[in-house]
Amino acid sequence: MANTVIGSSIVIDGEITGDEDLVIQGTVKGKIGLKQSLYVEGTGTVEADIQTQNVEIAGQVTGNITATDKVELKANCRMVGDIKAPRILIADGASFKGNVDMD
Amino acid sequence: MANDSPGMIGKGIQIRGTLSGSEDLVVEGRVEGKINLKEHLTIEQSGIVVADIETEQLTVWGQLSGNVDAVSRAEIKSSSVVVGDIRAPKIVIEDGARFRGNIEMDVKLPPNI
Repeated sequence: MANTVIGSSIVIDGEITGDEDLVIQGTVKGKIGLKQSLYVEGTGTVEADIQTQNVEIAGQVTGNITATDKVELKANCRMVGDIKAPRILIADGASFKGNVDMD
Repeated sequence: MANDSPGMIGKGIQIRGTLSGSEDLVVEGRVEGKINLKEHLTIEQSGIVVADIETEQLTVWGQLSGNVDAVSRAEIKSSSVVVGDIRAPKIVIEDGARFRGNIEMDVKLPPNI
């Protein structure tokens, strides 16, 4: 699978857009706009507004998320910001501060 | 996913901004801005990079516009199109590659030349 992986030592400051899945193990600051799924893994740190179809968060995210399908906050993740999506899952052990809007 | 998998910017991804890190990175998509890497940067045939690059080692199969400063080596492969200045101790340009720009290898000539 032509999967894009931002490795754990990589730092991106700017804007990421695209139409394929993105896995973040490193640090991204700025803005993310995807037509597919975004995975923020345990080592991943994101300070960005996110617009995508699906998000799974196991790492740290600061910023607002707008998803057209689903947002999943896994156990041990830390998320600060507002979430807007039709389906939102928050696992036991996740830490979250912000607004939830499921329409 | 294994932590030692190489970083990869896939075909459908565009990045605008600065990108830095200390691991190998493969670009199949598009990167605009600035790249600062302590390891090996590979621009695949589908990759388009419009950026100034500082890296340990560079291999280009795709398109690159920008200045390159490589610590050990820069390779311009046969399928690539490169515009910009390159500075590295070792530079390889393959037959078929298209390149326009300056090359500086830091050659120390013997004093009697």
